[in-house]
Amino acid sequence: MAIGPIATAHAKAPRSSGPAVAAGLARGAVLCLAAAAALSPAPAAAADKARLTNLTDVAFGMVANLSADAVRAESVCLYSTSSTNGYHVTATGTGAGGAFELSSGTSALAFDVAWNSAPAQSSGTLLTPNVPLTGQFSTATQQTCNSGPATTASLIIILRSGALSSAMAGDYSGTLTLVVAPE
Amino acid sequence: MKMLNARVRQLTLAAILSLSTVAASAATQGSLGATSSGTVSISASVPSRVQLTGLTDVAFTNQDPAVAAANAQNVCVWSNTSTKGYNVTATGSGTSSAFTLANGSLTVPYAVEWAGSSGASSGTALATGTALTGLTSTATSPTCSSGASSTASLIVKISTANLQSMQAATSYTGTLTLVVAPE
Repeated sequence: MAIGPIATAHAKAPRSSGPAVAAGLARGAVLCLAAAAALSPAPAAAADKARLTNLTDVAFGMVANLSADAVRAESVCLYSTSSTNGYHVTATGTGAGGAFELSSGTSALAFDVAWNSAPAQSSGTLLTPNVPLTGQFSTATQQTCNSGPATTASLIIILRSGALSSAMAGDYSGTLTLVVAPE
Repeated sequence: MKMLNARVRQLTLAAILSLSTVAASAATQGSLGATSSGTVSISASVPSRVQLTGLTDVAFTNQDPAVAAANAQNVCVWSNTSTKGYNVTATGSGTSSAFTLANGSLTVPYAVEWAGSSGASSGTALATGTALTGLTSTATSPTCSSGASSTASLIVKISTANLQSMQAATSYTGTLTLVVAPE
Protein backbone atom coordinates (compact mmCIF):
# COMPACT_ATOMS: atom_id res chain seq x y z
CA MET A 1 0.00 0.00 0.00
CA ALA A 2 1.61 3.14 -1.12
CA ILE A 3 0.35 5.28 1.77
CA GLY A 4 2.61 6.82 4.35
CA PRO A 5 2.18 8.72 7.63
CA ILE A 6 -0.98 10.55 6.59
CA ALA A 7 -2.95 7.33 6.34
CA THR A 8 -1.77 6.19 9.79
CA ALA A 9 -2.82 9.40 11.53
CA HIS A 10 -6.34 9.37 10.14
CA ALA A 11 -6.88 5.63 10.63
CA LYS A 12 -6.27 5.92 14.37
CA ALA A 13 -9.02 8.47 15.02
CA PRO A 14 -12.12 6.17 14.93
CA ARG A 15 -10.83 3.98 17.79
CA SER A 16 -12.02 6.41 20.51
CA SER A 17 -15.43 7.14 18.95
CA GLY A 18 -18.77 5.45 18.37
CA PRO A 19 -19.57 3.56 15.15
CA ALA A 20 -21.45 6.46 13.47
CA VAL A 21 -18.73 8.94 14.32
CA ALA A 22 -16.17 6.44 13.26
CA ALA A 23 -17.82 6.02 9.87
CA GLY A 24 -17.93 9.79 9.42
CA LEU A 25 -14.32 10.16 10.39
CA ALA A 26 -13.38 7.35 8.07
CA ARG A 27 -15.11 9.10 5.18
CA GLY A 28 -13.30 12.26 6.14
CA ALA A 29 -10.06 10.39 6.18
CA VAL A 30 -10.69 9.13 2.68
CA LEU A 31 -11.44 12.65 1.51
CA CYS A 32 -8.31 13.96 3.20
CA LEU A 33 -6.25 11.26 1.53
CA ALA A 34 -7.77 12.00 -1.85
CA ALA A 35 -7.04 15.68 -1.45
CA ALA A 36 -3.48 14.99 -0.36
CA ALA A 37 -2.95 12.71 -3.31
CA ALA A 38 -4.14 15.37 -5.69
CA LEU A 39 -1.86 18.05 -4.26
CA SER A 40 1.43 16.22 -3.95
CA PRO A 41 3.25 13.18 -5.30
CA ALA A 42 1.70 9.99 -4.02
CA PRO A 43 3.61 8.99 -0.90
CA ALA A 44 5.41 5.69 -0.97
CA ALA A 45 5.73 3.31 1.92
CA ALA A 46 8.48 4.26 4.33
CA ALA A 47 10.73 1.45 3.19
CA ASP A 48 10.30 2.11 -0.50
CA LYS A 49 13.40 3.22 -2.32
CA ALA A 50 14.50 4.36 -5.73
CA ARG A 51 17.73 4.58 -7.61
CA LEU A 52 18.82 6.59 -10.66
CA THR A 53 21.87 5.40 -12.58
CA ASN A 54 23.40 5.30 -16.05
CA LEU A 55 23.53 9.08 -16.31
CA THR A 56 26.06 10.48 -18.75
CA ASP A 57 27.16 14.01 -19.47
CA VAL A 58 25.59 15.82 -22.38
CA ALA A 59 27.93 17.55 -24.82
CA PHE A 60 26.33 19.34 -27.72
CA GLY A 61 29.67 20.49 -29.11
CA MET A 62 29.60 23.38 -31.56
CA VAL A 63 25.99 24.00 -32.52
CA ALA A 64 26.36 25.08 -36.15
CA ASN A 65 22.69 25.50 -36.99
CA LEU A 66 21.21 28.03 -34.62
CA SER A 67 17.90 28.00 -36.48
CA ALA A 68 16.94 24.50 -35.38
CA ASP A 69 16.46 22.91 -31.98
CA ALA A 70 19.42 20.88 -30.79
CA VAL A 71 18.34 17.73 -28.96
CA ARG A 72 20.30 15.15 -26.99
CA ALA A 73 18.63 12.16 -25.39
CA GLU A 74 20.06 9.48 -23.16
CA SER A 75 18.59 6.32 -21.71
CA VAL A 76 18.91 5.93 -17.97
CA CYS A 77 18.11 3.32 -15.38
CA LEU A 78 15.39 4.12 -12.92
CA TYR A 79 14.56 1.57 -10.24
CA SER A 80 11.74 1.78 -7.73
CA THR A 81 10.85 -0.70 -5.00
CA SER A 82 7.31 0.58 -4.55
CA SER A 83 4.52 -1.92 -5.12
CA THR A 84 3.66 -0.22 -8.40
CA ASN A 85 7.26 0.47 -9.39
CA GLY A 86 6.14 4.06 -9.49
CA TYR A 87 8.32 7.10 -9.02
CA HIS A 88 8.50 10.81 -9.55
CA VAL A 89 11.40 12.87 -10.85
CA THR A 90 12.43 16.42 -10.03
CA ALA A 91 15.03 18.39 -11.96
CA THR A 92 16.91 21.55 -11.09
CA GLY A 93 19.39 23.51 -13.12
CA THR A 94 22.19 25.85 -12.16
CA GLY A 95 20.38 29.02 -13.15
CA ALA A 96 18.73 31.38 -10.68
CA GLY A 97 16.06 29.55 -8.69
CA GLY A 98 17.10 26.26 -10.25
CA ALA A 99 16.38 27.46 -13.79
CA PHE A 100 17.54 25.26 -16.63
CA GLU A 101 20.35 27.47 -17.89
CA LEU A 102 23.87 27.06 -19.15
CA SER A 103 26.29 29.89 -18.63
CA SER A 104 29.28 31.38 -20.37
CA GLY A 105 30.64 34.17 -18.25
CA THR A 106 27.72 36.50 -17.74
CA SER A 107 25.79 35.09 -20.71
CA ALA A 108 23.07 32.50 -20.20
CA LEU A 109 21.59 29.91 -22.52
CA ALA A 110 18.26 28.43 -21.48
CA PHE A 111 17.44 24.81 -22.21
CA ASP A 112 14.48 22.51 -21.79
CA VAL A 113 14.42 19.19 -20.00
CA ALA A 114 12.01 16.42 -20.87
CA TRP A 115 11.47 13.01 -19.30
CA ASN A 116 10.04 9.87 -20.78
CA SER A 117 9.41 6.74 -18.70
CA ALA A 118 10.48 4.60 -21.65
CA PRO A 119 14.09 4.30 -22.85
CA ALA A 120 15.43 5.42 -26.24
CA GLN A 121 12.96 8.25 -26.64
CA SER A 122 13.77 11.65 -28.12
CA SER A 123 10.74 13.44 -26.70
CA GLY A 124 8.89 13.41 -23.44
CA THR A 125 7.11 15.47 -20.86
CA LEU A 126 8.72 18.84 -20.29
CA LEU A 127 9.92 19.34 -16.74
CA THR A 128 9.63 22.52 -14.74
CA PRO A 129 12.52 23.30 -12.37
CA ASN A 130 11.85 22.07 -8.84
CA VAL A 131 8.47 20.61 -9.77
CA PRO A 132 8.16 16.82 -9.58
CA LEU A 133 6.85 14.92 -12.56
CA THR A 134 4.66 12.31 -10.94
CA GLY A 135 3.03 9.12 -12.12
CA GLN A 136 6.10 7.57 -13.69
CA PHE A 137 6.65 3.82 -13.69
CA SER A 138 9.78 1.76 -14.09
CA THR A 139 10.29 -1.66 -15.59
CA ALA A 140 13.66 -2.16 -13.90
CA THR A 141 14.08 -5.44 -12.10
CA GLN A 142 17.47 -4.66 -10.63
CA GLN A 143 18.62 -1.42 -9.04
CA THR A 144 21.34 -0.65 -11.61
CA CYS A 145 19.69 -2.47 -14.50
CA ASN A 146 22.47 -5.03 -14.73
CA SER A 147 19.79 -7.63 -15.32
CA GLY A 148 16.42 -7.23 -16.97
CA PRO A 149 16.03 -4.06 -19.06
CA ALA A 150 19.31 -2.19 -19.41
CA THR A 151 17.57 1.17 -19.22
CA THR A 152 14.04 2.23 -18.36
CA ALA A 153 13.65 5.93 -19.02
CA SER A 154 14.85 8.75 -21.23
CA LEU A 155 16.32 12.09 -20.28
CA ILE A 156 16.05 14.62 -23.09
CA ILE A 157 17.88 17.96 -23.20
CA ILE A 158 16.74 20.53 -25.73
CA LEU A 159 18.43 23.75 -26.80
CA ARG A 160 15.67 25.73 -28.49
CA SER A 161 16.41 27.58 -31.70
CA GLY A 162 14.99 30.74 -30.19
CA ALA A 163 17.54 30.63 -27.40
CA LEU A 164 20.38 29.55 -29.67
CA SER A 165 19.81 32.23 -32.29
CA SER A 166 19.90 35.00 -29.75
CA ALA A 167 22.73 33.63 -27.61
CA MET A 168 26.09 35.28 -27.38
CA ALA A 169 28.90 33.28 -28.96
CA GLY A 170 30.84 31.24 -26.43
CA ASP A 171 31.30 27.97 -24.59
CA TYR A 172 28.39 27.27 -22.29
CA SER A 173 28.16 24.78 -19.46
CA GLY A 174 25.95 23.91 -16.53
CA THR A 175 24.75 21.09 -14.35
CA LEU A 176 21.40 19.38 -14.18
CA THR A 177 20.46 17.65 -10.95
CA LEU A 178 17.82 14.95 -10.97
CA VAL A 179 16.14 13.61 -7.87
CA VAL A 180 13.86 10.62 -8.01
CA ALA A 181 11.68 9.16 -5.30
CA PRO A 182 9.35 6.18 -5.16
CA GLU A 183 5.62 6.67 -5.17
CA MET B 1 68.79 6.20 -17.30
CA LYS B 2 66.40 3.67 -18.83
CA MET B 3 64.71 3.23 -15.47
CA LEU B 4 64.31 6.99 -15.19
CA ASN B 5 62.77 7.18 -18.64
CA ALA B 6 60.44 4.33 -17.79
CA ARG B 7 59.39 6.07 -14.55
CA VAL B 8 58.76 9.30 -16.43
CA ARG B 9 56.63 7.46 -18.97
CA GLN B 10 54.70 5.80 -16.18
CA LEU B 11 54.03 9.12 -14.48
CA THR B 12 53.07 10.70 -17.78
CA LEU B 13 50.75 7.85 -18.56
CA ALA B 14 49.22 8.07 -15.10
CA ALA B 15 48.66 11.79 -15.55
CA ILE B 16 47.04 11.28 -18.93
CA LEU B 17 44.76 8.56 -17.57
CA SER B 18 43.80 10.75 -14.65
CA LEU B 19 42.99 13.72 -16.87
CA SER B 20 41.07 11.65 -19.37
CA THR B 21 38.99 10.12 -16.58
CA VAL B 22 37.98 13.56 -15.37
CA ALA B 23 37.20 14.79 -18.86
CA ALA B 24 35.27 11.67 -19.88
CA SER B 25 32.39 12.04 -17.44
CA ALA B 26 31.45 14.22 -14.53
CA ALA B 27 28.01 12.68 -14.28
CA THR B 28 27.19 11.32 -10.85
CA GLN B 29 24.96 8.33 -10.23
CA GLY B 30 22.28 7.98 -7.61
CA SER B 31 22.35 5.54 -4.76
CA LEU B 32 19.47 3.44 -3.51
CA GLY B 33 17.40 5.37 -0.99
CA ALA B 34 14.16 7.11 -0.17
CA THR B 35 15.34 9.61 -2.76
CA SER B 36 18.10 9.13 -5.29
CA SER B 37 19.86 11.96 -7.00
CA GLY B 38 22.27 12.21 -9.89
CA THR B 39 23.84 15.01 -11.85
CA VAL B 40 24.65 15.57 -15.48
CA SER B 41 27.02 18.15 -16.87
CA ILE B 42 25.79 19.85 -20.01
CA SER B 43 27.96 21.79 -22.44
CA ALA B 44 27.41 23.54 -25.75
CA SER B 45 29.31 26.00 -27.89
CA VAL B 46 27.63 28.76 -29.83
CA PRO B 47 29.58 30.04 -32.85
CA SER B 48 29.89 33.67 -33.85
CA ARG B 49 26.97 34.73 -35.99
CA VAL B 50 25.55 37.91 -37.53
CA GLN B 51 22.29 38.74 -39.24
CA LEU B 52 21.32 41.62 -41.53
CA THR B 53 17.60 42.42 -41.86
CA GLY B 54 15.30 45.34 -42.49
CA LEU B 55 16.59 46.06 -45.98
CA THR B 56 14.25 47.76 -48.44
CA ASP B 57 14.60 48.52 -52.14
CA VAL B 58 15.73 51.97 -53.17
CA ALA B 59 13.92 53.86 -55.96
CA PHE B 60 14.81 57.29 -57.24
CA THR B 61 11.98 58.41 -59.50
CA ASN B 62 11.71 61.60 -61.57
CA GLN B 63 14.89 62.78 -59.98
CA ASP B 64 15.78 66.42 -60.66
CA PRO B 65 19.31 66.33 -62.15
CA ALA B 66 20.08 69.60 -60.40
CA VAL B 67 19.53 68.11 -56.97
CA ALA B 68 21.68 65.32 -55.59
CA ALA B 69 19.75 62.16 -54.85
CA ALA B 70 20.07 60.46 -51.48
CA ASN B 71 18.20 57.63 -49.83
CA ALA B 72 18.88 56.55 -46.28
CA GLN B 73 17.31 53.53 -44.68
CA ASN B 74 17.54 52.04 -41.23
CA VAL B 75 18.56 48.40 -41.05
CA CYS B 76 19.09 45.84 -38.34
CA VAL B 77 22.47 44.21 -37.85
CA TRP B 78 22.78 41.69 -35.06
CA SER B 79 26.04 40.20 -33.88
CA ASN B 80 26.43 37.65 -31.11
CA THR B 81 30.10 38.23 -30.39
CA SER B 82 31.13 39.49 -27.00
CA THR B 83 31.66 42.98 -28.42
CA LYS B 84 28.68 42.76 -30.81
CA GLY B 85 31.16 43.79 -33.47
CA TYR B 86 30.82 43.29 -37.19
CA ASN B 87 32.11 44.42 -40.56
CA VAL B 88 30.18 45.10 -43.75
CA THR B 89 31.17 44.60 -47.36
CA ALA B 90 29.17 45.91 -50.31
CA THR B 91 29.33 44.96 -53.96
CA GLY B 92 27.42 46.34 -56.90
CA SER B 93 26.17 44.72 -60.07
CA GLY B 94 28.38 46.70 -62.40
CA THR B 95 31.60 45.64 -64.07
CA SER B 96 34.01 44.33 -61.41
CA SER B 97 31.20 44.70 -58.88
CA ALA B 98 31.12 48.45 -59.38
CA PHE B 99 28.33 50.47 -57.80
CA THR B 100 26.53 51.28 -61.03
CA LEU B 101 22.99 51.26 -62.35
CA ALA B 102 22.43 50.31 -65.95
CA ASN B 103 20.03 50.29 -68.79
CA GLY B 104 21.60 48.29 -71.57
CA SER B 105 24.88 49.97 -72.38
CA LEU B 106 23.97 53.06 -70.40
CA THR B 107 25.40 53.16 -66.89
CA VAL B 108 25.54 55.59 -64.01
CA PRO B 109 27.60 55.32 -60.84
CA TYR B 110 26.19 55.68 -57.35
CA ALA B 111 27.78 55.91 -53.93
CA VAL B 112 27.18 53.74 -50.88
CA GLU B 113 27.70 54.86 -47.29
CA TRP B 114 27.25 53.01 -44.01
CA ALA B 115 26.68 54.37 -40.53
CA GLY B 116 26.87 52.24 -37.40
CA SER B 117 23.77 53.88 -35.97
CA SER B 118 20.25 54.22 -37.27
CA GLY B 119 18.72 57.51 -38.40
CA ALA B 120 21.86 58.75 -40.11
CA SER B 121 21.74 60.60 -43.43
CA SER B 122 25.46 60.17 -44.08
CA GLY B 123 28.12 57.70 -43.13
CA THR B 124 31.42 56.18 -44.15
CA ALA B 125 31.78 55.72 -47.90
CA LEU B 126 32.15 52.08 -48.91
CA ALA B 127 34.43 50.83 -51.65
CA THR B 128 33.15 47.81 -53.51
CA GLY B 129 34.48 44.56 -52.12
CA THR B 130 36.29 46.23 -49.23
CA ALA B 131 35.09 45.54 -45.72
CA LEU B 132 34.29 48.43 -43.42
CA THR B 133 35.46 47.10 -40.07
CA GLY B 134 35.15 48.06 -36.44
CA LEU B 135 31.38 48.44 -36.38
CA THR B 136 29.31 47.63 -33.32
CA SER B 137 25.65 46.70 -33.09
CA THR B 138 23.18 47.56 -30.36
CA ALA B 139 20.71 44.87 -31.42
CA THR B 140 19.49 42.58 -28.67
CA SER B 141 17.61 40.19 -30.93
CA PRO B 142 18.60 38.77 -34.34
CA THR B 143 15.93 40.65 -36.30
CA CYS B 144 15.51 43.58 -33.91
CA SER B 145 12.08 42.28 -32.96
CA SER B 146 12.78 43.45 -29.44
CA GLY B 147 15.07 46.14 -28.14
CA ALA B 148 16.42 48.51 -30.77
CA SER B 149 14.27 48.30 -33.91
CA SER B 150 17.23 49.20 -36.13
CA THR B 151 20.93 49.62 -35.52
CA ALA B 152 22.59 50.96 -38.64
CA SER B 153 22.01 53.13 -41.69
CA LEU B 154 22.54 52.36 -45.35
CA ILE B 155 22.78 55.43 -47.54
CA VAL B 156 22.71 55.40 -51.34
CA LYS B 157 23.57 58.57 -53.23
CA ILE B 158 23.77 59.80 -56.81
CA SER B 159 25.62 63.03 -57.37
CA THR B 160 24.26 65.83 -59.55
CA ALA B 161 27.11 65.26 -62.01
CA ASN B 162 26.10 61.65 -62.44
CA LEU B 163 22.40 62.48 -62.55
CA GLN B 164 23.10 64.94 -65.33
CA SER B 165 24.86 62.20 -67.30
CA MET B 166 21.72 60.06 -67.32
CA GLN B 167 19.38 59.83 -70.26
CA ALA B 168 15.92 61.21 -69.56
CA ALA B 169 12.88 58.95 -69.29
CA THR B 170 15.11 55.93 -68.97
CA SER B 171 15.01 53.47 -66.11
CA TYR B 172 18.37 52.46 -64.68
CA THR B 173 18.52 49.47 -62.35
CA GLY B 174 21.06 47.54 -60.39
CA THR B 175 21.57 45.40 -57.33
CA LEU B 176 23.60 46.17 -54.24
CA THR B 177 24.74 43.19 -52.20
CA LEU B 178 25.73 43.64 -48.58
CA VAL B 179 27.59 41.06 -46.54
CA VAL B 180 28.10 41.41 -42.82
CA ALA B 181 30.47 39.28 -40.76
CA PRO B 182 31.12 39.04 -37.02
CA GLU B 183 34.12 40.63 -35.40
